[in-house]
Amino acid sequence: MRNPLNSRIPREIRREAGKYAVIFLFMLAIISVTSGFLIADASLKKAYDDSFEKYNIEDGDFEVEEPADDGLIAEIESGGVKLYENYYKEVPSVGGSKLRLFKPREEVNKICLLKGDMPENDSEIALDRLYMKSNSLSLGDELSLGGREYRITGIVALPDYSALYENVSDFMFDTEMFGVGAVTAKCFDGALGKTETHYSYSWKYNEPPADHFGAEAAEQSDEFLRHLSGKCELMNYVPTCRNSAIKFSGNDIGHDRVMFMVMLYMLIVIIAFVSAVTVTNTIAKEANVIGTLRASGYTKHELIRHYMAAPIIVLLIASLIGNILGYTVMKEYMAEMYLGSYSLVSYKTIWNADAFIDTTIIPFIILAVINYAILASKLTLSPLKFLRRDLKRHQRKKAFKLNTKIPIMIRYRLRVLFQNIPGYIMIFAGMFFASIVMIFSLLFAPLLDDFDKNTEKSMLAPHQYILKMPVETAEESAEKFAAGNLKIVRGDFSEDVSVYGIVSGSRYYKSDISDGKIEVSSAYADKYRLHRGDRITLHEEFGDREYKFTIGGIYNYPSTLAVFMDIDSFNETFEQPEGSFSGYFSEEELTDIDSRSIATEITLDDLKKTSRQLRRSMGSLMSVFSLLGVGVIILVVYLLSKVMIEKNTQSISVAKILGYNSSEISGIYLRTTTIVTIASMIFCLPFVTLALDLVWRSMMMEYAGWLAPVVPFSAYVKTILLGAATYIVTALILKRKINKVPMDEALKNTE
Amino acid sequence: MFIEISDIKKHFGEGESRVEVLKGISFELEKGEFCVLLGPSGSGKSTLLNIIGGIDRADSGYISIGGEKTADMNEKALTLYRRKHLGYIFQMYNLIPNLNIKENIEVGAYLSDSPLDVDDILKTLGLYEHRHKLPNQLSGGQQQRTAIGRAIVKNPDILLCDEPTGALDYNTSKEILKLIETVNQKYGSTIIMVTHNDAIKNMADRVVKLRDGVIRKNTKNENKISAEELDW
Repeated sequence: MRNPLNSRIPREIRREAGKYAVIFLFMLAIISVTSGFLIADASLKKAYDDSFEKYNIEDGDFEVEEPADDGLIAEIESGGVKLYENYYKEVPSVGGSKLRLFKPREEVNKICLLKGDMPENDSEIALDRLYMKSNSLSLGDELSLGGREYRITGIVALPDYSALYENVSDFMFDTEMFGVGAVTAKCFDGALGKTETHYSYSWKYNEPPADHFGAEAAEQSDEFLRHLSGKCELMNYVPTCRNSAIKFSGNDIGHDRVMFMVMLYMLIVIIAFVSAVTVTNTIAKEANVIGTLRASGYTKHELIRHYMAAPIIVLLIASLIGNILGYTVMKEYMAEMYLGSYSLVSYKTIWNADAFIDTTIIPFIILAVINYAILASKLTLSPLKFLRRDLKRHQRKKAFKLNTKIPIMIRYRLRVLFQNIPGYIMIFAGMFFASIVMIFSLLFAPLLDDFDKNTEKSMLAPHQYILKMPVETAEESAEKFAAGNLKIVRGDFSEDVSVYGIVSGSRYYKSDISDGKIEVSSAYADKYRLHRGDRITLHEEFGDREYKFTIGGIYNYPSTLAVFMDIDSFNETFEQPEGSFSGYFSEEELTDIDSRSIATEITLDDLKKTSRQLRRSMGSLMSVFSLLGVGVIILVVYLLSKVMIEKNTQSISVAKILGYNSSEISGIYLRTTTIVTIASMIFCLPFVTLALDLVWRSMMMEYAGWLAPVVPFSAYVKTILLGAATYIVTALILKRKINKVPMDEALKNTE
Repeated sequence: MFIEISDIKKHFGEGESRVEVLKGISFELEKGEFCVLLGPSGSGKSTLLNIIGGIDRADSGYISIGGEKTADMNEKALTLYRRKHLGYIFQMYNLIPNLNIKENIEVGAYLSDSPLDVDDILKTLGLYEHRHKLPNQLSGGQQQRTAIGRAIVKNPDILLCDEPTGALDYNTSKEILKLIETVNQKYGSTIIMVTHNDAIKNMADRVVKLRDGVIRKNTKNENKISAEELDW
């Protein structure tokens, strides 16, 4: 015989429609978002991984000053590689941006045509999708480059520029200011003939390493570099294993997954506890029924299964619909998040068992285990205790003593408070989590503004030039410096550190490091929690040499991870001849040196690339976080306050019979919750700040560079105001519920 | 004998507030016997009924039903014992509010390997036309009839009734008592009914009077009358 109790389940869901609707919608939202994210993440990751073979991505590239002749090519290829020409030209484009243009590629780094056609004549051009989007360009638009008009015929993705890094040593890429594209070979050699050509060669190993980015690949590239040295003068050498433009997007696609999973499981645990609290309330309400059923012979497990059924069914339906939405609508939206940052090749949606396990099976297990544990502990009470509605394991002998001088209404509220402590702890936990999510979304924009402001304030000099070769200038404000790059290595992760050699008595570096003292930038110290006296180990960029330094001070330079020393120490450390230098700081633009001698000029704009790109790629996600925070507040406050009101239905009814009016009753039952909610919002903020610092740091440790987690005061104020506004709406709904409690409730005999 | 109750003792509270509720209760019942436990409030009759029903434990003594001692049973065995042998009727009905009348009775039927026909019971109880209604749509008497239906549908060996008419008016009470009598006669269930209504003793086969936790009187009723004839 089918268990007749099962008929209750749909009725229970209908009866508690409001409660289950809130749980359902919330679960649906987080499962569809997470599922969509995981599917997009896995599909894009697969497309990225497959692109190495599909588009025959290079194993590295190098640039020489002059085209290599056949003899040189043969000599280089004897090192176990095959070389491919990959020449490019750089032209100024819209809004002061720079376009790096290639010929169509037939053999390596084959171009993925996403839409339209490849250029067929010398007035046509195909451009990177993201560069076009960032500069509001569309197919068919005319683009003026070097005084000639080009029609955009195709939208493309270049697999060796999935992250649009202009230089591999760049801190971050900027899709608005730098893009890539392709023109016909005729156009490249003809119309663009006067533009300087970069003689870049891509190589593929005859025996490639098993992993494009592993230690074997690094070793092989070092070996190839040794083979190359002496044969030609290298302008640039970038093995794929160290090429941010190729590997950054692949790394990032994997990293965000952790953040989403942590968020999903935190929310599921909150929902599980909220649901367990509400189920516990149902048990209290139905104590006599449970007692009767147990007395009649129903087992504990039959009843546990019965009371668990409704939340589990709601979760399963939400999971099912959430997964369907994830595969359809949300996948597109979440993929856009990546496609808004990276120039990825085309992808196909793939069925992802992990997404199903992570968003359905594991939440199911979490919800089931927490509910089971709470129900099992409640249902260990004897049937008799249920019949007597005596559900406290340890009965308090006497009521909490309250000073009788306290006015009765306050004492009444305090009693309500003590009675509902477990629910209020949940409200605190919910507020804590909601505040983390909300402040995270609110701190983002001010944090980037703050970064820009500090970067501008702490720029070493208005003009900073890196030279290809030492040249002299007559500019009075110019000051020599030496610069190089080292690497911080943490397991598989590595990031660049700029090393500066500063002249003694520098007008640009405002700290005395003439006595061999080493200082690190505040960004470096903050990210790695370094202090004066700490010892750091840095690694050679292309080699295995290590450098150890003792920190003598921290220099306020928030934009870059950098190490500063005097120029003599620099030259000694890096075995450079005395008096060597590699750049100039200057107040004024250097007009008397040949532009061909300048490798790069570091401008304020360059230093702000990180914030610009983060703003563009993550800005839209922040509004999702704000909504999520509001959702958590509604979920926690509404459900728990509802439980509290239901628990006190009879008392509310008695109070009404006695003549208390609705506002007095709301004052007792709702105002206590209001006070607790607002107090929770305020008192959880120090904990939120600590948690955010941890979350932000662990997130930024996965990225190169550093943005300090400074929470502006306005973010706290906005969070409290937003939280309070959300609560007021919830409280109004609950007030209606109190008003609806009938007076005859008190007349019901509940023994 | 079918039920043997031997030297049952039970106390509540400790120290100054310790109360000896049952001070050594012993009596026996034959299968199919209708026993009324009478006594004023606090005499221990409901406690004794709960111990017989296996939902409370005695401090000492034992209860043997069909040769099985409940004191030797663990929680699981006690649940099984209740499932197989007992039906419970409470003063406050304890129906499941969001199940209709028929489903409330099915809740009892589900527990039995050989339940009685639910529709027959609904007809016997005069509830057939109300079977699709929810408990709150019925009168107190109808709700108690439903509770009786739920208890008897699994054809229990023993029907335990704790003040089944305590919340009902005279006419409805008589109606319920008639039903319980019918169950006793039709299905041969042993019935133990706790009441403080002295008149009900007249319809019982055995009357056990309790006061202050001891049996004051345990008598076989030679002049048993039908529920129809009861008056108070």
